[in-house]
Amino acid sequence: MTENTQSNPMMPYLGKLVEVKDIATEIKLFRVEMLNGGGEAFRDTKPGQFAFVSAFGVGEAPFGIANIPQDGSATLDFAINRLGSVTTDLHELGVGDMVGVRGPLGNGFPMEDFKGKNLIVIGGGIGGAPLRPVIQTVMANRDDYRDFQILWAARNPSLLVFTDEYDSWRATPNTELHLTVDQGDSTWEYSVGLITELLERVSPSPRNAVTITCGPPIMIHFVNRVLVEKLNFKPEQNYVTLEARMHCGIGKCGRCNLGTKLVCVDGPVFTMAEVGSLLESFL
Amino acid sequence: MNYLTRQEVATWLDKLAQEQTLIAPLDIAGNILYRPVQDTHEVAWDFVRSFMSIKEFFFPQTERLMLIEKLAGQVTLTETLPEGNTVIFGARPCDARGLLTLDALFIDNEPVDPYYKLRRENTTLIGLACESLGPSCFCTSVGGAPDDPTGMDIMLTPTGGGYVAEILTAKGEKISKRFPVFDGLSEIRPHPLHERKHELKIPPKEVWPAKFNDDFWAEMAERCLSCRICAYVCPSCRCFDVRDEVLPGKNGEDQSERIRCWDSCNGIPYRRVAGGHNPRFMKNQRLRNRFYCKFYYFPLHYGPVSCTGCGRCIDACPVNVDITEVLGYVGRR
Repeated sequence: MTENTQSNPMMPYLGKLVEVKDIATEIKLFRVEMLNGGGEAFRDTKPGQFAFVSAFGVGEAPFGIANIPQDGSATLDFAINRLGSVTTDLHELGVGDMVGVRGPLGNGFPMEDFKGKNLIVIGGGIGGAPLRPVIQTVMANRDDYRDFQILWAARNPSLLVFTDEYDSWRATPNTELHLTVDQGDSTWEYSVGLITELLERVSPSPRNAVTITCGPPIMIHFVNRVLVEKLNFKPEQNYVTLEARMHCGIGKCGRCNLGTKLVCVDGPVFTMAEVGSLLESFL
Repeated sequence: MNYLTRQEVATWLDKLAQEQTLIAPLDIAGNILYRPVQDTHEVAWDFVRSFMSIKEFFFPQTERLMLIEKLAGQVTLTETLPEGNTVIFGARPCDARGLLTLDALFIDNEPVDPYYKLRRENTTLIGLACESLGPSCFCTSVGGAPDDPTGMDIMLTPTGGGYVAEILTAKGEKISKRFPVFDGLSEIRPHPLHERKHELKIPPKEVWPAKFNDDFWAEMAERCLSCRICAYVCPSCRCFDVRDEVLPGKNGEDQSERIRCWDSCNGIPYRRVAGGHNPRFMKNQRLRNRFYCKFYYFPLHYGPVSCTGCGRCIDACPVNVDITEVLGYVGRR
């Protein structure tokens, strides 16, 4: 079996798929039950951390962990869009199949620092995946945070993730959910347009607030621009989680650097003040 | 000191080759390459510098990390750590310096890479001082020297037709022990080697950020082919890729191996993510990254500059991208 896992950071833990469901077009939610010691390793996973998921025989790729592992249950959620070779193979798997999971990696969101603040979560498409544990944390500890606004977007309604959870989000006290899609359809009853337009309309106040954004790089760029230029947020208030190609997750393979920072160990969570001070653009 | 004739060194190496793997420089179609040898008959004794560094024996071009077996829905992973002892003869000072650079990343920086660390522990380095600097060598600019014993277990310095041998570590002691020529009684001192003072100064970390957006990088990159040879011949480049390869399976078994292999930040897909976004899609961004990594990012994160002054990239580049030209530019006010 998996031996010396603790001393070899490249060895994944084994996990068994206990649930696989379609949650959007080409996006599946994989629920993984960790085996042989893996559950223990992930027990203290922080929102915003990530893990490498192995499709054995193809390879491994990094994914944001999409839930807060509950004490003892040792199950991890991954929302995975079928895009490359690893994700295509993962989409072929079903309940009972084995995957590898290596992590938790990265810094995660400073949820402690967010306590007592108004939170604005802004998710675009599959970028909603690493934000779900933030939402879960706020819901589970509602009194620790002030007003909670969720702005959720996708290119079209079929690409919205976690739709079956919207009612529970809305039902949480002092919580607003605002939805928008670039292109609606006949049944779409919410906003149509870019998330930046929605953001301007919702117009959150920068007072005692932080924003948490994940989505395509171009969305992150323009969301920050609206926040700073139109809504008077400071870049330090705007937290983002960045995506980068990587092959180790532990600061060795050299692949994910953005100037002097390594997305794997210095990130993936940064403030836009940090991102703006990097030599290199993430765009 | 110990003094050994070439014949004595050869006899000693032949003896070592019977006990462990001996890697030595060979002349292969005009290129000096380090390869495993059965005995010293084929060894190239006189050479300036090998085409590839000894990096590949510590961080191989392709290396199996684990074996993956799938049977009846169950997956078994078997860690495949390197085994066996190796002696490398004829390592140059720039090669040893390259290893010290990689040590800073793979060993000194947590978490330790067990594959690299085991190879380091299981390998003994017999260094061979350079009798001259090659036309592209600039090791003296990065703090090295053609007879620098740093990082070696035993250092041989060609002197008066034979070699002065200095035993530097316990590992070196071990492989010298059973060979009586290492009596420590010789009065002969290493021949002072001709040392060419290099004018080139490595620009300190602080000067790099201001040059990041200069047109120089685009000009330099115009001729770059993104072929990646510079990284592959480099003793200190360490970027890698990890993927699984399916193995020819036995009956009903589904076997594959997880491998890691060399990669380079000059490659077009290096930063490309699934979905197509590539923040470093321009050649000049990639070429610039390589030099910033070597002299700014790597020292910032891990300590040493990631360059040994060996000049291999200068010789290997098909379009004359010259690292000393880059250093000259960045160092200029």
